[in-house]
Amino acid sequence: MRATRSLALAGTAGALALVFVPGTANAADTASVSVLHGVPGVTVDVYANGEELLSDFKPGTLTDPVSLPAGSYDLAIYPAGSDPKSTQPAAKADDVQVPAGANATVVAHLNEGGTPVLTPFVNDTSPVPAGQARVTVRHVAAAPAVDVRAGGQVVAPGLTNPKEATLTVPAGTVSADVVLAGTSTVAIGPADLTLAEGTSTAVYAWGSQQAGYQLAVQQLGDAHSSPSGVNAGSAGLAAEDGGLPVGVLAVSAAGIAGATLAGRRLVSARR
Amino acid sequence: MRRAVIGLAAGLAVAAGAPAAWAVTRPEPAAGVPVAAALAAAPGTTPAGTAPATAPPAPPQAADALPPVTVRDAAPPRVAAAPPAPQLVAVGGATAPVDPVGVTRAGLMELPGDVDRVGWYRYGPVPGRPGSAVIAGHVDDVRQGLGALGRLRTVEPGDPVEVTDAAGTVTRWTVVSRELLDKQALPVDALFARTGDPRLVLVTCGGPFDADRGSYRDNVVVVAVPA
Repeated sequence: MRATRSLALAGTAGALALVFVPGTANAADTASVSVLHGVPGVTVDVYANGEELLSDFKPGTLTDPVSLPAGSYDLAIYPAGSDPKSTQPAAKADDVQVPAGANATVVAHLNEGGTPVLTPFVNDTSPVPAGQARVTVRHVAAAPAVDVRAGGQVVAPGLTNPKEATLTVPAGTVSADVVLAGTSTVAIGPADLTLAEGTSTAVYAWGSQQAGYQLAVQQLGDAHSSPSGVNAGSAGLAAEDGGLPVGVLAVSAAGIAGATLAGRRLVSARR
Repeated sequence: MRRAVIGLAAGLAVAAGAPAAWAVTRPEPAAGVPVAAALAAAPGTTPAGTAPATAPPAPPQAADALPPVTVRDAAPPRVAAAPPAPQLVAVGGATAPVDPVGVTRAGLMELPGDVDRVGWYRYGPVPGRPGSAVIAGHVDDVRQGLGALGRLRTVEPGDPVEVTDAAGTVTRWTVVSRELLDKQALPVDALFARTGDPRLVLVTCGGPFDADRGSYRDNVVVVAVPA
């Protein structure tokens, strides 16, 4: 489901497919794609199939989801303002298959060795149980394996670039940090992350030793479920089962008793 | 002798009249528009400033044209201040304090243990925001007797409901629907909708009581719209 492949460096042509995720009803022929910029220090222009998708894209920013026709895309990033005809791309990914209904984020980031790459991630927006939230942590920083911690506890051990780990947790705010795997050497954070109920959130660790490491947060959308029901009574005092309520029965019985009494008196008076 | 005749007549009248009066005055199992219709009416105008966290994807363009793109900062967002939660609800002649509640381990809506209090589903909207704000309470309890929503099954379309929030603001609502709905087929996604026009949904238990299981078959569901 969540296979990801790091892509092609400058000048190479790599083929990859975004894993198909069943989409929502109206997503028959389109895919929802967003782009996150996690290469420190470089403002870029993003090209899809040779056309400029967005310009002056700054590190630490991301796009809202864009609905793209399903199909094959050649993606590339160039230093901002450069002519793609005469410039080598900073990173590129050819023949990225974007299937109908997919929800994906393409991340421009550094690999572990510090080279810019483009990695597509498939986003899980399937419903979570009521009261829960989903968080996917993605290692896209020029760094070795890390542990992701929440409240001081390791929740995603040994994450390597460009892997991800997905957790479903009770909704709320957690204090998250990233440490070098197996150590308590903090690389990023701690930062308070609010995981609202019924949401799916991607958290990216990005950057480099020189430029500094940071977190990026992407809301992947609504994944809420409703409670299964409401159990709100245990005594039967408000029951409506067609029978007469006890109180009404009592009044009626009192009437019968009164009538019986009066009837007896009537009979004895006649004697 | 005359007194005895009157007594006999009166006794019989009470004996027959009490059930008759009960039958005439008992609330119908449903009143107003069906709950499903009250909730489905006019879906989805989202007021400004309450846009969902993630904008829906822009409509697709022609295959060769790329759509416009919106860029935002990816730094962890500051925690937004939550709107004031409801604190009191007045309905059916009773006023009850409101506690924010979530879900039980079994996935049911949580309710305050005290039948004099009611719960507001805190993961859904606050009353007045898009979608259904759900407030529910026990109709009764074996030890505590009848609850704050004990008379919910008698409210009628047109009846007022008032909600006071933590900031002291009072919002007024008008009942449009009351219905007994089988718990086994409760339309939870409609009742707990997070989009659509603002609705206030009040829920308790009702219908036939299964003494062996200690539970009611149905939910009493009342839907109110902004007055």
